[in-house]
Amino acid sequence: MDELTREFLIESQEGLDRMERCLTDLEARPGDTALLAEIFRSVHTIKGTTGFLGFKRLEKLAHSGENLLGLLRDGKLEATAPIITGLLQLLDGLRSILRNVEADDSEGDGADTELIARLEELQAPAKSAAKASAARPQAASKAPEVAPPPAPIAAEPAPQTAAEESQPEPEAVRARAPQATSAAESTLRVDVTLLNRMMNLVGELVLTRNQVLQATSADPNMTLLSRRLDMVTADLRESVMKARMQPVSNVFSKMPRIVRDLSQSLGKQVRLQMEGQETELDKSLLEAIKDPLTHAVRNSLDHGIEKPDARTAAGKDAEGTLRLRAMQEGSHVIIEVADDGAGIAPEKIKAKAVERRLVTAERAAQLSEREILQMIFLPGFSTAAAVTNVSGRGVGMDVVKTNVEKIGGKVELDSRVGKGTTLRLRIPLTLAIIPALIVRSVNQSFALPQGALSELVHVSAENGGTAIEWIDNAPLYRLRGKLLPLVFLDRLLVPGADHSAENRSTFIAVLDADGRQFGLVVDGLADPEEIVVKPLSAALKGIGLYSGATVLGNGELALILDPGAIALKAGVTMAVSEEEAAQAAEEEVAVENTAAEFLLVEVAGRSAAVPLGDVLRIEQLPASRIEYIGYRPVLNFEGQLLPVEDSGGILNAVQGSPEAPIIVVVCRDGGRQVGIAVSHVLDVASGSDLFEAGSAQPADGVTLLKDRVTSIVNLGGVSALPAPEPAPQPWNELAETLG
Amino acid sequence: MSQHTGTSRAKEKSAAAMVEICSVRLAQGLFGMPISHILEIVGSTRPQPVPLAPGFVGGLVHYRGDVLTTVSLRQLLGMPPFEGPQAILVIETPVGAYGLLVDSVGEVLTISTAELEPNPSTLDESRRDLFAGAYKLKNTLLVMLDPEKLDPIRLGAALAA
Repeated sequence: MDELTREFLIESQEGLDRMERCLTDLEARPGDTALLAEIFRSVHTIKGTTGFLGFKRLEKLAHSGENLLGLLRDGKLEATAPIITGLLQLLDGLRSILRNVEADDSEGDGADTELIARLEELQAPAKSAAKASAARPQAASKAPEVAPPPAPIAAEPAPQTAAEESQPEPEAVRARAPQATSAAESTLRVDVTLLNRMMNLVGELVLTRNQVLQATSADPNMTLLSRRLDMVTADLRESVMKARMQPVSNVFSKMPRIVRDLSQSLGKQVRLQMEGQETELDKSLLEAIKDPLTHAVRNSLDHGIEKPDARTAAGKDAEGTLRLRAMQEGSHVIIEVADDGAGIAPEKIKAKAVERRLVTAERAAQLSEREILQMIFLPGFSTAAAVTNVSGRGVGMDVVKTNVEKIGGKVELDSRVGKGTTLRLRIPLTLAIIPALIVRSVNQSFALPQGALSELVHVSAENGGTAIEWIDNAPLYRLRGKLLPLVFLDRLLVPGADHSAENRSTFIAVLDADGRQFGLVVDGLADPEEIVVKPLSAALKGIGLYSGATVLGNGELALILDPGAIALKAGVTMAVSEEEAAQAAEEEVAVENTAAEFLLVEVAGRSAAVPLGDVLRIEQLPASRIEYIGYRPVLNFEGQLLPVEDSGGILNAVQGSPEAPIIVVVCRDGGRQVGIAVSHVLDVASGSDLFEAGSAQPADGVTLLKDRVTSIVNLGGVSALPAPEPAPQPWNELAETLG
Repeated sequence: MSQHTGTSRAKEKSAAAMVEICSVRLAQGLFGMPISHILEIVGSTRPQPVPLAPGFVGGLVHYRGDVLTTVSLRQLLGMPPFEGPQAILVIETPVGAYGLLVDSVGEVLTISTAELEPNPSTLDESRRDLFAGAYKLKNTLLVMLDPEKLDPIRLGAALAA
């Protein structure tokens, strides 16, 4: 394929993508001349170039489309639903020919006569109408009849009459054109393989820099130079990573078409709302979530949103709403697919799971609602009663889950019967560089992705014999009263060798891999590092325990462990993790809204309550960790500065002794975090609202805990630090889990 | 890093089919690899072992920003492990590259293909698959290695089959 043809293919594809977006928009605002002009331009460009390159079939098809579009643009025809369907078919037709050209440099030998005939047919009413209007002036009165309702767009000035609206606006078109060129001039198409290569080289540079820094640390003459190298490398790395980022709109833009086609074929009315399309994600990740997302959208339409009559019967708007929302949260991007449909009935899932023998009836009866919801992610599960051609082709939600987890993401599902279902995909920003903890075992370093790590436990040499308990040959560790299955990394990696666990200090990395919670026993820990993930040769993929390899700062190679694969290999089964259980508890609280859980603390002799849902951590630390900005006590907690509330004067009491232990409850208050200094943590209890005598209003700031009136700590009352706080993100509360 | 040793044009034959072969040592044996397949020779390395990897895998090395899987010729031929650092021939394959771990790298020889003899029929079948015949040198035999057949992906597939 020559350069010209390749260029043409890329350009045409972009044009068609743009056309698809415009067409779905056009349905909402049929009279928008700017949109029509844009669509016309896409097809016209294709037609012009094809004639030049000698693609006759494409030219013919594009030509007939152009005729129809010309009529639309000149206002001789209204963009009705059949016409838009016809144009979408034209789009598909053009795309399939382009695919042929891309595959074997020929247009393929299909005939488009049917499609062309259809497109000509669609032009017909305009021709007769044009003739009619020429003959009889009153035909113009027909126009308001077919005119669409006023289009709700900001760009449109005051409501216009149908006749005005259908006038072409050459100024607007001309004004847009130069803008488009200037954007084209400032951007450049870059081959993805080149970007990958650059990313690789940057990774290499980072390594070399680390070594240079180590080698020159003793030489004062080199300090300035090496610091400069350090900075430039960091900047370069960031720029290259940024170059790989693409807005999620690249994936979202396919959705209006899917929603349109599907809702039509299913006989449903669905409105699609999209938010946060400018959120950026690494290109490879974007590719990877395309299919899961499409599947989730199809699922929502097929199984979630009900038919109009069922919706009206349920007292809902006949038109369902599907909301796609993307947002960045820390080092993750959250993508939400939410519908206001029927929701998922737990009984149905339970029955289906028992029927499919995914779970026994006895076990099913014991499961919580949340656990039951998780079952739709099991392979071989499909809730659709009938297999439709939309979904239920044997690929289910398990594919969504596996695909998202493959790229280090997480899937969360939330559903309320009658209210709707929300599927939340949590995707890491980039795959190429991930934070990892470096652990030592069998005299080697291994990288453990931080994403799966929930905590670390140190087992000292003298405790080694008793801390780890055994049931037959299964090692277990008592973690806050629960038995945690253990996997010894050395025994797993070098089976058969003599591994005497006793009399040796070890560490347990508590991992949560796809709902499988277990402790990985390693010999030692090194610092956490940002690692550059390198793929492994196919010859080593069969081992299954490693997800890649990386080069550490000291030049040593380390294999990246795959927690999910380790759990699978060691036979750790699914269990509802604490986090989920806590979340479920939290949700139940939210639903019932009668009792709330509180953390009961003692502050200088008085008991107080902190809403449990807001508690992030309880930290015991030496008093010297508390620093002061002016007279305000602050705590540097995981790189963040927290204001510390000290109403009980606990910090003052220990001011003289820096080693004295103090307890700080780290809480969430909207978008910020605050610390509360307490004397003791007493208990967790559920409290109920107290009603003030003579009023039906629940009293603020107090609750009834264990039959005693207890005051609730007002987190909002902790004043902010002098430095400006980042604006609280309204999504924090929903998306954040009890961490 | 790269140490292309001097070429010795011992036999200046007029035959068109002259090949350049990099000779490597493994214990007492002399082996050869066509230099057309060698990207680079990396001296004195200690590859990072990969627990649970198939027997022929010599470990991983860091090579120009990539992680290179190495094939240990000693392990492949069932020889005891070598004490000390080994040299690596980086071999180019259609889909990437792999490393071949050898004890040491000798000189590059230019030999006429006329000197090549096929594998003897008495050779063990497992070896016959890895060797591509032998060149008759003055006082020893140079056993040719087949770069395609030593590819770890192929070796792994053969092991699984």
